[in-house]
Amino acid sequence: MTQDRASDIAPSTRLYERIRLDSLTGLLPLVLLLSVWQLIGDPESPFFPAPSSWWPALFTLGQGDKIIPAILDTVRTFGLGLLGATILGVALGLSIGVSRTFGRAVGPTFEFARALPPAAIVPVATLLLGFDETMKIVVVVLAALWPILLNTSSGVQELNPVLLDTARSLRLSTTRTLFGVLLPSVMPAIVLGVRVATPIALVITLLVEYLTAVNGVGALVGEAQRTFQPARVYALIAIAGLLSLVVNSGVRFVENAVQRRRVGDQ
Amino acid sequence: MLVLVAIAGIWEVLVRFSIADVQFLPAPSEIAAAAQGEIFGGELVGRLIHTVGVTALGWGIASVIGVGLGLLLGLSPTAYRYSMTSFEVTRAIPPITFVPAALLIFGFSLKMELVLVIYGGIWPVLINTIGGVRSIAPELRDVGTMLRLSTPETIRKIVLPAAMPSVVVGLRLGLSLCLVLAVVAEMVGNPEGLGNGLIRARQALQPALMFVYVIAAGLLGVALNAGLRATARAFLPGNALKDVFAS
Amino acid sequence: MAEYECLNLRAEVGSRRGAKRLVLDGVSFEVGAGEFVSIMGRSGVGKTTLLRVLAGLHEPSADSPTSDCMVRFSDEAVAGPPEGVSLVFQDYTSSLLPWRSVARNVELPLEGRLSKADRQVRVTEALEMVGLADRHDAQPFELSGGMQQRVQLARALASRPAALLMDEPFGALDALTKADLEDQLLEIFTATGTTVVFVTHDIEEAVYLSDRVLVLDGSPAKIVAEIPVESPRPRTQMHTRESPEFLRARHRVHEVIFGTE
Repeated sequence: MTQDRASDIAPSTRLYERIRLDSLTGLLPLVLLLSVWQLIGDPESPFFPAPSSWWPALFTLGQGDKIIPAILDTVRTFGLGLLGATILGVALGLSIGVSRTFGRAVGPTFEFARALPPAAIVPVATLLLGFDETMKIVVVVLAALWPILLNTSSGVQELNPVLLDTARSLRLSTTRTLFGVLLPSVMPAIVLGVRVATPIALVITLLVEYLTAVNGVGALVGEAQRTFQPARVYALIAIAGLLSLVVNSGVRFVENAVQRRRVGDQ
Repeated sequence: MLVLVAIAGIWEVLVRFSIADVQFLPAPSEIAAAAQGEIFGGELVGRLIHTVGVTALGWGIASVIGVGLGLLLGLSPTAYRYSMTSFEVTRAIPPITFVPAALLIFGFSLKMELVLVIYGGIWPVLINTIGGVRSIAPELRDVGTMLRLSTPETIRKIVLPAAMPSVVVGLRLGLSLCLVLAVVAEMVGNPEGLGNGLIRARQALQPALMFVYVIAAGLLGVALNAGLRATARAFLPGNALKDVFAS
Repeated sequence: MAEYECLNLRAEVGSRRGAKRLVLDGVSFEVGAGEFVSIMGRSGVGKTTLLRVLAGLHEPSADSPTSDCMVRFSDEAVAGPPEGVSLVFQDYTSSLLPWRSVARNVELPLEGRLSKADRQVRVTEALEMVGLADRHDAQPFELSGGMQQRVQLARALASRPAALLMDEPFGALDALTKADLEDQLLEIFTATGTTVVFVTHDIEEAVYLSDRVLVLDGSPAKIVAEIPVESPRPRTQMHTRESPEFLRARHRVHEVIFGTE
């Protein structure tokens, strides 16, 4: 049983499979699409400028030195937002998981808050908090919180009750139960929640930046659109895509590392 | 539910007596008054209908494309091998960043909104359909082969029902994504719907009205999810539902 | 008259990494119409692969053009699942359709072939044969493992097959349920005259049920022994298992598989 699970998620074979030739052949349609686009696309087209014009468009009109700071801004908002969402999500998730009363009390409120389209929060946040970094982070936290919260609380609820009884019968202190027993056992659930929350946090970071024009890659895309620079828009979309690929594979790597350690323990 | 009422009560007291003096924060009673005005004399209903219509239409089209493409990629190893990485890479690009591109191409129009909603809604359905189809137990496929079912019969009787729980997860995720994209498109592009109402209220510095639209958007999200849940419940056997609405 | 003919069968199985392994080589045997034959061997020897070849789910490999490898069912080469053959899988949880009721599961092979009324008759008949007539409308997940396996058996019987292939069908069941189902299978076998090819790794079970036991061994595997079981039918758990014919056959199978001590 244990062995089955270990081989199912063994990261080395998964990584091995991922970089096999198979996945390269899968790029064919994308490469074809971009080639055709390049061949028939006009660099001056207001809709579909040829891909070769994208990269230079990043640097026209002395805009080149805005790119790196924008990426750093986006990464910072994303990182702090995800961190905040993780801390808040785990804390609330643990409380809901441990206390049924608390869970029932806040249930409907959360259900509603979760269904709020994050975009709708943005105007309210700007009105109440102003156009700054804090506002951005608050919106990201409010959107990325839910998968972490839900995974944590269901992780706690699915724990074998014997585990908590063990902690009780050993008369461990509350802190010790929390950090020595509870948190480590729900760690895989938390990590899963963080993995699901990661793309959400990035998307919402870009969304806030785009809607409020407060720093970051999202703000740059908006600016490029308002000043009718299509090639620049596509270049920034590609940057956002790359950013998301990097961030997601990073999180997946961490998830694998956590699972590998747990498998090693058993 | 009680907690909601309690929060509203405390909020009311705090604002009314200026204990918490946050600029522009309306009291719940002001929001209620604004809501009443907007429902009976204003634009809320019309805007709501617009957003619901675009979301539902876009979601429907996206679901048909997503399930169809997902079946193809899930069933044909060749199709999977020669395109899956392209889909993975494209999917990684946050759909939000396509909003500016769509605005440039389609202008401030309904078409722009619809295209965005469809584009965003396809992904979760596609990915979950592929996953559902590819994780069907090999025994179940063998059952179809042993009974000499034709390909359409196999899809209709075995593949689709077996993948259904996973497909429904995709449909559900897709629906909330469609709503988000519709609201974003309305906020920045197509001047209609709840998103536009929100922006108008923001520009007119009417915080109470803005909260009305935020709450309307949230309630719409809850209602759409509940509607889908009820529909799924009618069509899925009880034991399959557990995973679908777990998260 | 031979129902199944297998001559110099070769079969390869691909592993996850794409490498192929020769599992069966030079497997030759016949199964007569109305005969009950068990295929035995250690786990991993290729019993299931052999059964899947018979079922038309796995293609035998003929890598040399001169190879005389051949599988025939009622005088026709097997290419894809042959008409008149039903397969019962070991894993009933994943081979029953969980979204269909018991009756609708049994009806599946008849859809598009028979009228609604005829289908009802066949479904009732098949469910009666396995003793589940009263669980018509139950959902598979409401039933015990033994009952689910009966449903699968009923589904296999509904198309009135000439041959029934069974892949360790009772392997996952407890001893009492298993004995019950063995007797029920024998009753059905006698009543319908169906040919049965039965894969198992339980020596007692193979001997109790079969007219002949074939033993697969080696890597790649071939048939290393063929042991006739002369116990008279009808057989009963208590008497047959104590009869000298049963004990002799069991002893022989043991000897072939484990060697003489």
